[in-house]
Amino acid sequence: MSDAYGFYTDTTVCIGCKACQVACHQWNELPAELEQQPTEHSPGQTRPMTGNSYDNTGSFSDVNWRHVKFIEKSEIPAMGTTAASVSHSPQDPNRDNLQWLMMSDVCKHCVNAPCLEVCPTGAIIRTEFDSVYIQEPVCNGCRNCVGACPFGVIHMGGTANEGEGTAKKCTLCYDRMQHGLTPACAQACPTESIQFGKITDLKVRAEQRVKDLHDLGFPQAQLYGADTKILGGLNSFYLLMDQPEVYGLPSNPKLPSRAVIPSTFLSMGSALLVALGGLFAFRKKRMEEFAADPTAKER
Amino acid sequence: MGITASPNWGGWLVAYFFIGGIAAGAYFIAGLIELIGSERDREMARGAYYLAFPLLVLCSIFLIADLHRPERFWHMLIQSNTFWPMFKYWSPMSVGSWILSAFGAASFVSFVDTLAEDGRLGLGRFGGWARSLRLSPVGKLFAVLEMLAAYGLAAYTGVLLTATNVPFWSNTNLLGALFMASAASTGIAALLLLQHRTASHESLAKLETADSLAMGLELLIMIGFVISLGGLAGRFVTNPYGLVMLVGTGGLGLLLPLLLRLLAKPLGRNPAVVNALLVLIGGLLLRYGILFAGESLTSRVG
Repeated sequence: MSDAYGFYTDTTVCIGCKACQVACHQWNELPAELEQQPTEHSPGQTRPMTGNSYDNTGSFSDVNWRHVKFIEKSEIPAMGTTAASVSHSPQDPNRDNLQWLMMSDVCKHCVNAPCLEVCPTGAIIRTEFDSVYIQEPVCNGCRNCVGACPFGVIHMGGTANEGEGTAKKCTLCYDRMQHGLTPACAQACPTESIQFGKITDLKVRAEQRVKDLHDLGFPQAQLYGADTKILGGLNSFYLLMDQPEVYGLPSNPKLPSRAVIPSTFLSMGSALLVALGGLFAFRKKRMEEFAADPTAKER
Repeated sequence: MGITASPNWGGWLVAYFFIGGIAAGAYFIAGLIELIGSERDREMARGAYYLAFPLLVLCSIFLIADLHRPERFWHMLIQSNTFWPMFKYWSPMSVGSWILSAFGAASFVSFVDTLAEDGRLGLGRFGGWARSLRLSPVGKLFAVLEMLAAYGLAAYTGVLLTATNVPFWSNTNLLGALFMASAASTGIAALLLLQHRTASHESLAKLETADSLAMGLELLIMIGFVISLGGLAGRFVTNPYGLVMLVGTGGLGLLLPLLLRLLAKPLGRNPAVVNALLVLIGGLLLRYGILFAGESLTSRVG
């Protein structure tokens, strides 16, 4: 295996500009996600607002391979609330003590990738850069990968002659990387929140940044996916300022194959019991018959 | 709302799980009858052989229809760029594709063999060979293979759901076991329904006993399934689809027919057809409930 490449995303410097989303759409020629695509004669309809802070993307989709999240937190208790109830009512009604967490979410290019594991056609492969890539001409649209991904990254999409009906997600700009270019999103990021490089280099940088933040009085700063605890490590890992769940990231995602052996053994037990039941049902009567008429011969 | 996105496995998959379960359950019990049943009981096995292969063909159609690129269905078995076989033993869907193929081949042989045995192939006296082959050690060995293929088809679908990150599905290891028991109960119910006029009273009674035992097992595994969800158990029993499974399958499809069978003697009547229908409806609701309960907790539907 040659060197693994990926993203280190420092969420503390994300300003929520969504330049990464725009760059991703441009480079990968992803259409805007509208209610109705514009035509020659009609301008097209925009999507309804999500009403969720500045987030109007909502979630990953077949055309949104990046998704900048805006998490609103209110640290200061609103009038009349006790300290204990704060954690249960994070919104202060006037929203004048708001704290924003912003994070540009993307495919994690997991070291042990659930999507790649379950893919029955071999459409999902690991590239020479250790990224996870979907080969559109191979995918037959079974959607196993969609339910396998613990981050909700993969969605089905594509138009005629553009991989219609196949699984879509971030490619880590495989086409750019093959020509020595930085992925579009990292190139566009104005604050270097999204950093691209060799995973080993990025980890050193990230660990130093966490140490600096701890020294500056932010003990909550933590890395997500930099070690091997989450799916063997994430080739797109994060520096977070709160628990993963606050960012909508799973703290303990599951590897699909973990279930195969125990589930199979339990199902074998079930089959064995069904067979024993059948044995009892069909043999018992024969024994009774035999007892009633011992002269009757076995078949 | 969970984080995992919905694979949108809808009606086609529910239909496949249900019909495939019936085919597998009937075929499983047919193999067992071949091994241990009396000559009379073999009548029931023959019914299963007539049922299994056509149902499997139906299943293949459902599965291919469910793909977003149906013309590429063969990519599951053959690598489209190298033309080598495609097989990943750690991916239940990959294993399942081969199980389906194996079941298809085995059930086709059984189907043709039964046609020959019943003299419907116009083979004349050669039809008798099919029968002697069936009763020979080769036939017994084949019955074991039948049971293995049927077990695979019945169970892998449950393991497939568990091997994801979808809530409920991935929080238990009992779906494979549950689907196996449900395949048996619905497969036997289908045989009872199909042959309640033609088969001997005694064979039907044996089959009914086997069905009741499978249903009892299914009920126990279902309880185990809810317990195995741990912290999510409460959400499952209040989830509308979870309720469909608990009330529809557990109550209507299992408890009620079991009760009716227990009361058959004191009441002096055994509503065999009603019971079999209830079990079949329960089996359908089991697949429906489990599938949609999981998908209802995913992040983005569509």
